[in-house]
Amino acid sequence: MNVVLKVSDLAVDFCIGEKIVNSPLRGINLEIRSGETLGIVGETGCGKTLTATAIMGLLPASARPRGRIEFADRGSLEPSSMGSIRGSEITMIFQNPQSAFNPIFTIGSQMRLVAQKRNYAKSEIGSMLNERLSSVGLTDTKRILASYPHQLSGGMLQRCMIAMAMISSPKLLIADEPTTALDATIGDQVLNLIRDLQDREGFAMLFISHDVTAVAKVADYISVIYAGRVVENGPASAVMKSPQHPYTKGLLGAIPSASKPRGTLIAIPGSVPSVLNDVVGCSFAPRCNLATSTCAEEPPTLTVGQQSVTCWMVNS
Amino acid sequence: MLDGELMNELMMQISNLSKTFDVHHGGRTHEFTAVDNVSLSLYKGEVLGVVGESGSGKSTLARCAFGISQPTLGETLILGKSLVGKSVRATRELRSNLGFVFQDPSGSINPRMTVRDAIAEPLQLRSQDRKSIDVRVSFLLDRVGLAENQLRRKSHELSGGQCQRVAIARALSTNPKIVLLDEPTSSLDLSVQAQILNLLEELRRDFELTYLMISHNLDVISHLSDRVAVMKDGRIIELGTTREVIDSPQHPFTRELIRVYSGSETSHEIPADFNLDKWQDGPLNTWAFQHIPAFLPVRKISSSSRPLILSENLDPTLDEVKVGWDVNLRNVGDILKDLHTDSIVMLRSGEVVFEKYFNGMSKTSPHLLQSVSKSILGALYGKVVENGEINPSLTFSHYLPELVSSVYGGATIQQALDMTVSVAFSEDYSDPNSEMARLDEAIGWRTSVSGREIGLRNYLKTLTPNGEHGKFFQYCSANTDALAWLICEVTGRTYQDLISELIWQPMGASGSATISVDREGLSVGNGGISCTTRDLALFGQLLLLMGEQNGQQILPRNWVKQTFDGSSPEVISADYLQALHPGGSYKNQWWITNSAAREIYGVGIYGQYLWLDPSTDTVIAKLSSIPIPVDPTHSRMHVALFRALARINL
Repeated sequence: MNVVLKVSDLAVDFCIGEKIVNSPLRGINLEIRSGETLGIVGETGCGKTLTATAIMGLLPASARPRGRIEFADRGSLEPSSMGSIRGSEITMIFQNPQSAFNPIFTIGSQMRLVAQKRNYAKSEIGSMLNERLSSVGLTDTKRILASYPHQLSGGMLQRCMIAMAMISSPKLLIADEPTTALDATIGDQVLNLIRDLQDREGFAMLFISHDVTAVAKVADYISVIYAGRVVENGPASAVMKSPQHPYTKGLLGAIPSASKPRGTLIAIPGSVPSVLNDVVGCSFAPRCNLATSTCAEEPPTLTVGQQSVTCWMVNS
Repeated sequence: MLDGELMNELMMQISNLSKTFDVHHGGRTHEFTAVDNVSLSLYKGEVLGVVGESGSGKSTLARCAFGISQPTLGETLILGKSLVGKSVRATRELRSNLGFVFQDPSGSINPRMTVRDAIAEPLQLRSQDRKSIDVRVSFLLDRVGLAENQLRRKSHELSGGQCQRVAIARALSTNPKIVLLDEPTSSLDLSVQAQILNLLEELRRDFELTYLMISHNLDVISHLSDRVAVMKDGRIIELGTTREVIDSPQHPFTRELIRVYSGSETSHEIPADFNLDKWQDGPLNTWAFQHIPAFLPVRKISSSSRPLILSENLDPTLDEVKVGWDVNLRNVGDILKDLHTDSIVMLRSGEVVFEKYFNGMSKTSPHLLQSVSKSILGALYGKVVENGEINPSLTFSHYLPELVSSVYGGATIQQALDMTVSVAFSEDYSDPNSEMARLDEAIGWRTSVSGREIGLRNYLKTLTPNGEHGKFFQYCSANTDALAWLICEVTGRTYQDLISELIWQPMGASGSATISVDREGLSVGNGGISCTTRDLALFGQLLLLMGEQNGQQILPRNWVKQTFDGSSPEVISADYLQALHPGGSYKNQWWITNSAAREIYGVGIYGQYLWLDPSTDTVIAKLSSIPIPVDPTHSRMHVALFRALARINL
């Protein structure tokens, strides 16, 4: 299948005054094919959202991105060409639907604005919005279009946001923690909805979350990010069933579960390092129980089965 | 875990507690009940977890119970004494038994205080001398896993996990007996959450603490708690030991919560317009056929631990193949759309050459097979007849005396397998008074008109003969249900185990599969199997391989041959079959065509097919949700489609 998004060696430096701060991303490599979902798993501050913002071209002025972002048949993306792609060929849904909508306009007027931008004829917009809203499982479309964001529940708003992101039939959907702010049962419905939509519409998806279980539900492939680098990548089922990187193993072991017997959880000692620290060699080494002196050097990326793992301690 | 002795000491008793708020909306004021008449007891040494979604009232309940807010009604006894209506000064001593840990650790610590002062503050209120305070702070710091050098830091210099450790140390400073944990790990990273949960468990043990823990996260709650209370709309809807609640949840909301957290894939969210009398018809059937376990009782058919992965050699041009029927010539892609296809998988020489999914289906989604289920029963009989467990020339009453006075008393098993039992039975799917409609009521596939909900067992007993058996073909779904009952009775095994052990596991089925059961747990053999399209195709391939896969004879060769040969054509008199291919026949729950290719197939209403063409080594499994049960035009289109695909050179 054709590659929709290819990110190579992405890093983002920040200029603060005269000073250039080290990039929190240390060479991110990703690839997504059409109809597929790549799930990015990582903890606070590992660079998940920064990666998404860099792809969308929404970085702050102080940012200096390096590396290559290639999109579909357009080749390398430049900031100048993003205006025509962002919001049409690449769309995004965010964590908090309450703050993603403007509180002083109705849902309908905000969605119509997007439709006009996408060159829908005035006469088609009404029926198109009805269709989009019913495709995300909302039936009372007339009331919803007339509502202000505060009049709808979080789950309904998230569905509206998804419908809005679908208006332009994007090639790539970036979903940044789309279920984190929702209750578990509502979040699960939203995940199922996103998957069904993808089956129907065939867009590629970059699904970002700290919630490993949510990612496992939707992703075909998983990339585990730690301190600004992809440390493990592979088919979702393989990564979940036989994680190779010590960090992935630790992360999966640390999840309590109603179906697992109780007892002491296997916790990773320490906490996620600050992105501002200079890291030499493997950034996970200080928390890793397998670490040796070798880990002070840049770890190689090895292939284990269908997974690629950036670690000294893995046997390929 | 608790022992009986500890359990007896009551630490906190919440009785009939309610809390209402006045809500101002549009100039009017109305009352909102956040907590509605809740009673709970907390015993020494236990962890009681309260789980619920946002707005369920769990935090309000905790705040009222611990005296942070005043309840509207009811009260809480802490160690037998009430906090209600007394001044803070008067209850200071009592309150020192309580500790609090909240969700956002950086928000619950004064940003201008050092770690030392934050932990010491509650002690200073009790006017202890500086030296003993310092000793206590150092001790607590060590117990929560922080280093001495962190004493001088402020909260912004600490990580989230470290902040929560400080908050825990502060909560324990006054040596409380009961600690409230309100979402203690919700704002922490996963790897840090595990550290904090381990720490809380360790402290509970060492200091003999009693916890009331609040969280929206069922996994976190069930990890730490001895008992779980599930809260919804201000009420406790379920309360029990953690194992009881997790293993046998009673309330539908608890079940849904557990399903979500257990990571099971299919959503059981039932569409708002769902109707048990209409689910088989379009448009509801598109959702319903893929989600049978959401609304009907089912038993799981276990798949193989060593799945057979079909190799793929997809041919993208098959979408464009022209299909001729009547005067039209149309693309496969368009025909699939017209036939309300949910999925299609085509195997050529055992390789997947064509595979499409629609309407939310995927490789892993199970779909109801309707009467294609019958053809799987046929194969089960091939197996048990070969073993000598069942003699097909004997009558049903030989094995199932219960059926002696019904139509099956005098019919043989082979006659039922070949549908030549003569029975007073109308298989009219559109008539709500037909025997078929009553069969659907008996198995719970349709709501029962009063007095008719009798279960499969009793229903089959009511069927009566209509002539001589063995003479004419009469398609009757009840025959297959009687056969499914009989095979379980004789082998002493459940229907799901028979399918799993005799066919599904040996052939390497990998997807999830279920069989629908009636209220007594009897299997719906006539049409109740749901499985993935690929597993169905794999089953078809097994027949083309004459029952032998990788050197293992899974289905008896003789049975496969007998099935391909068909029965004598003269017993067939079903008009719609004759119109389709004159001279076709029916054997062992399979349809056999009379064309030179000698195709055999299983077919179910609303467009379910398993089509085998031995002349080109082709299997086509197609599952659909056509809005109406039977339509001759759709049937002809299906045959034209399958022949066009099966006969193409690849």
